[in-house]
Amino acid sequence: MFVARSIAADHKDLIHDVSFDFHGRRMATCSSDQSVKVWDKSESGDWHCTASWKTHSGSVWRVTWAHPEFGQVLASCSFDRTAAVWEEIVGESNDKLRGQSHWVKRTTLVDSRTSVTDVKFAPKHMGLMLATCSADGIVRIYEAPDVMNLSQWSLQHEISCKLSCSCISWNPSSSRAHSPMIAVGSDDSSPNAMAKVQIFEYNENTRKELTSSGGPTKFEIHIVAQFDNHNSQVWRVSWNITGTVLASSGDDGCVRLWKANYMDNWKCTGILKGNGSPVSGSAQQGNPSPSLGSNIPNLQSSLNGSSAGRKHS
Amino acid sequence: MEKMSRVTTALSSSALTGHTMHCHLDAPANAISVCRDAAQVVVAGRSIFKIYAIEEEQFVEKLNLRVGRKPSLNLSCADVVWHQMDENLLATAATNGVVVTWNLGRPSRNKQDQLFTEHKRTVNKVCFHPSEAHVLLSGSQDGFMKCFDLRKKDSVSTFSGQSESVRDVQFSIRDYFTFASTFENGNVQLWDIRRPDRCERMFTAHNGPVFCCDWHPEDRGWLATGGRDKMVKVWDMTTQRAKEVHCVQTIASVARVKWRPECRHHLATCSMMVDHNIYVWDVRRPFVPAAMFEEHRDVTTGIAWRHPHDPSFLLSGSKDSTLCQHLFRDASQPVERANPEGLCYGLFGDLAFAAKESLVAAESGRKPCAGDRRHPIFFKRKLDPAEPFAGLASSALSVFEMEPGSGSMSWFVDTAERYALAGRPLAELCDHNSKVARELGRNQVAQTWTMLRIIYCSPGLVPTANLNHSVGKGSSCGLPLMNSFNLKDMAQGLGSETRLDRSKGDTRSDTVLLDSSATLITNEDNEETEGSDVPADYLLGDVEGEEDELYLLDPDHAHTEEPEYVLPQEAFPLRHEIVDTPPGPENLQDKADSPHVSGSEADVASLAPMDSSFSLVSVSHALYDSRLPPDFFSALVCDMLRFYAEQGDVQMAVSVLIVLGERVRKDIDEQTQEHWYASYIDLLQRFCLWNVSNQVVKLSTSRAISCLNQASTTLHVNCSHCKRPMSSRGWVCDRCHRCASMCAVCHHVVKGLFVWCQGCSHGGHLQHIMKWLEGSSHCPAGCGHLCEYS
Repeated sequence: MFVARSIAADHKDLIHDVSFDFHGRRMATCSSDQSVKVWDKSESGDWHCTASWKTHSGSVWRVTWAHPEFGQVLASCSFDRTAAVWEEIVGESNDKLRGQSHWVKRTTLVDSRTSVTDVKFAPKHMGLMLATCSADGIVRIYEAPDVMNLSQWSLQHEISCKLSCSCISWNPSSSRAHSPMIAVGSDDSSPNAMAKVQIFEYNENTRKELTSSGGPTKFEIHIVAQFDNHNSQVWRVSWNITGTVLASSGDDGCVRLWKANYMDNWKCTGILKGNGSPVSGSAQQGNPSPSLGSNIPNLQSSLNGSSAGRKHS
Repeated sequence: MEKMSRVTTALSSSALTGHTMHCHLDAPANAISVCRDAAQVVVAGRSIFKIYAIEEEQFVEKLNLRVGRKPSLNLSCADVVWHQMDENLLATAATNGVVVTWNLGRPSRNKQDQLFTEHKRTVNKVCFHPSEAHVLLSGSQDGFMKCFDLRKKDSVSTFSGQSESVRDVQFSIRDYFTFASTFENGNVQLWDIRRPDRCERMFTAHNGPVFCCDWHPEDRGWLATGGRDKMVKVWDMTTQRAKEVHCVQTIASVARVKWRPECRHHLATCSMMVDHNIYVWDVRRPFVPAAMFEEHRDVTTGIAWRHPHDPSFLLSGSKDSTLCQHLFRDASQPVERANPEGLCYGLFGDLAFAAKESLVAAESGRKPCAGDRRHPIFFKRKLDPAEPFAGLASSALSVFEMEPGSGSMSWFVDTAERYALAGRPLAELCDHNSKVARELGRNQVAQTWTMLRIIYCSPGLVPTANLNHSVGKGSSCGLPLMNSFNLKDMAQGLGSETRLDRSKGDTRSDTVLLDSSATLITNEDNEETEGSDVPADYLLGDVEGEEDELYLLDPDHAHTEEPEYVLPQEAFPLRHEIVDTPPGPENLQDKADSPHVSGSEADVASLAPMDSSFSLVSVSHALYDSRLPPDFFSALVCDMLRFYAEQGDVQMAVSVLIVLGERVRKDIDEQTQEHWYASYIDLLQRFCLWNVSNQVVKLSTSRAISCLNQASTTLHVNCSHCKRPMSSRGWVCDRCHRCASMCAVCHHVVKGLFVWCQGCSHGGHLQHIMKWLEGSSHCPAGCGHLCEYS
């Protein structure tokens, strides 16, 4: 089904992240060698490195694309405790750099005092926003008030998660049915630490009130759910496209699926083993869910669940 | 030499033991130094100067060297060094420029031995000669280095670095007479101790101050330097010109660097600010620290390996007033926490995957990976067997591309481009879309379109009921664009359907089916088509795909003959089949219960015949004969749309929504519709299908969506008098202060529709300009411009 195309990445150390852009024709890689490379797909389908530059003074953990509406913009985060925003400059090309695009650092976000482990742009409809999380357990949300000016970012929120954060993910849904949410996973290795996965939600109402009264545009963030059932480090969190199901993968080789019921209580709706076999959900301590876990079809439908599905189920 | 050998034997007889531990000091430490017996450590700072014994479980304070009532600046230490041959001898560098030596063998409480007050500013560093008992070297902020013989009162020689300040001085271990000094301006100098007049060699090592240097403990002539530019560089000093052999990039300016004993390629660093951690690097892997010690809460100021032949104990002092012993095995290893794999799904189904090569190789083992060829070159250097090194880690990057036609997203693009959403009668749209879907091999979708046509375009009853309904709805909704579309659509639909009605009189229902499918290609120009003309028209339409439809319809006709009169009674029970069969039997098998399907419906679904063509026939007949109003089905169609949306095929949901328009819109709540539209438009834009996306935006009935393409459209206007861009709003030019919207024909200010030429900025009333252009193509203002209006 797949044709493998091996690419001589020529990174001098481990590659930690690969990221396709919005249109799927560009790819960015980041590596411990402190550089980020941008690859463009040619007409023939080959990937050509069109830019490679040193981004940080430490391992670059993640690289992510902004929506193209904001230009060709990348964000990277690193062991060196910073996150950076990069913009591609199209312009004069001297002979030496022919075919090489030029990326300029627009800003460095230096608020973290430990390694910044993940960086993600918010969904487009929220404007130009960026979330970072760091090893000391703080999620930071930045906003560029002027989308034309990528060098000005204001720190909007600092959310303390109390555990070392490893990954972050915005709820992709643009539906107005629910407020924006952000999920955070922790790589804290102690098995009895609580809240390995947490979901935070913006309170849009508070925001409106405050902005209209001319006060600070800080809006309330409250924790929607926290899941304590992961017994190991959580490496990745990921939403389904409609933002109704959250998947988190852990060091125990299991993927756990979380879904809100009609009361907005988030529950574990399924556990998938790395080998593909589902684990009975009712085996979870403190989570008696009679209808869940035992039937796979239910699980699948919840995986594909749309916002409509959320209301009806 | 004799003493050195004793040290070695001391270690071999009783290997060092201990734990990771720390003790609190009274004040921040500036520097530490270890006694050669590895059992004591001296800590010096601005207001602390103590010796601690390193015991198994803890540090024990042995001696406080700060004696006397009046604190003297001579005791404010910037650096301290313990002689490596004489365990009673220490030297400190004071911030006031004094170099003090201490003799622990003195019987009195005050152990101060000698005082050299030769430097004018802070002494940054003191260093004993590694094999000479009485030679001490100092480097100061005033730019001078001085060599002292402890048997004499004054310095033996003074070396001028010709630079602002000396940050570090270190005697070479390899050459008896050589020492290295580093400077604030980025230079490193090599001196012969016998030649104070000029340096042997000088080179620029760093960009900015070089804070520290350390000679490799094994006899190799390697010098490591660390600077404010966050780099540690390893220089080979044996060659004529100093050659940079390694470069380590750290995350903060490097304050101290110390080679790790017994490990040829390891060195420890700590930073001067920001970063409180101590890192141990393998210089061959310059990007990722091999180990990291995170105990300190403030800047680490001094690091020392406990014993020159033991690689596992590291001592450190910090501004946070603690003294720590770190065990190498307790260090955190950033490499272990680094994520070795990256994965991303592309838009076209491409899967990019980067993984550590060792992982990939372990799995496949046969394919030589792209990065492998680097390894032989690397391993040419002889490796120290005592120092296991996995090799420079690298990742293999590959993109797995979908083979064309197997699950890649080309179907989405093709479908989006080829679907007809408006501008033709409903039946034609359905047929066209069904054909498109079938050609792309999406039979289930094709079937759905056919079903929709059957439901909504059954002859006889559609025109009256549906047209009225649509008009009523459209006007209340108040969207003129949609409204007109619907009317036009319906008008055409009415035309074709009444014609069908006419033909129905003398032909059977199966020919009607054929006829309506034929209208797809034979459009408006043959309005007068009679029932008898149909076959001919059909043959004229040369599209190949049409034949499929013929075949598909043919078995239907075969069926139609027998059960014609039985079916009316079954019409109601069969309703449920319609719900579930359009989504398709193949899907029902694996996703038996979608959240919407109640138990009873699911039961019916499983009982429903799996032969879709059969069910199609029965349904179509049920329709014809029972004369059910199309409204009757709208709930089911809505369920079908939700089903598609949930399956991830939001394209289908939106397309049907647009094509059916008012027929189903009222049954789906606004928010869901808006969500579908938004998702579909987002997808279209991802695939760069701007035209389709714009069409969808235009056809959408949701207010939030249809205003999408009205946002951020800017109109640039020039003043018709001064030809300058008009910056302010309104029609008054702020340069020549005249109204720019004068009609060039009647010379009145235009209110309402204003049309103007983009070339010369002149224009006027639409009617006037149109009239003028009938006679002349030149500008009515007389500017001579050949105006063009699009």
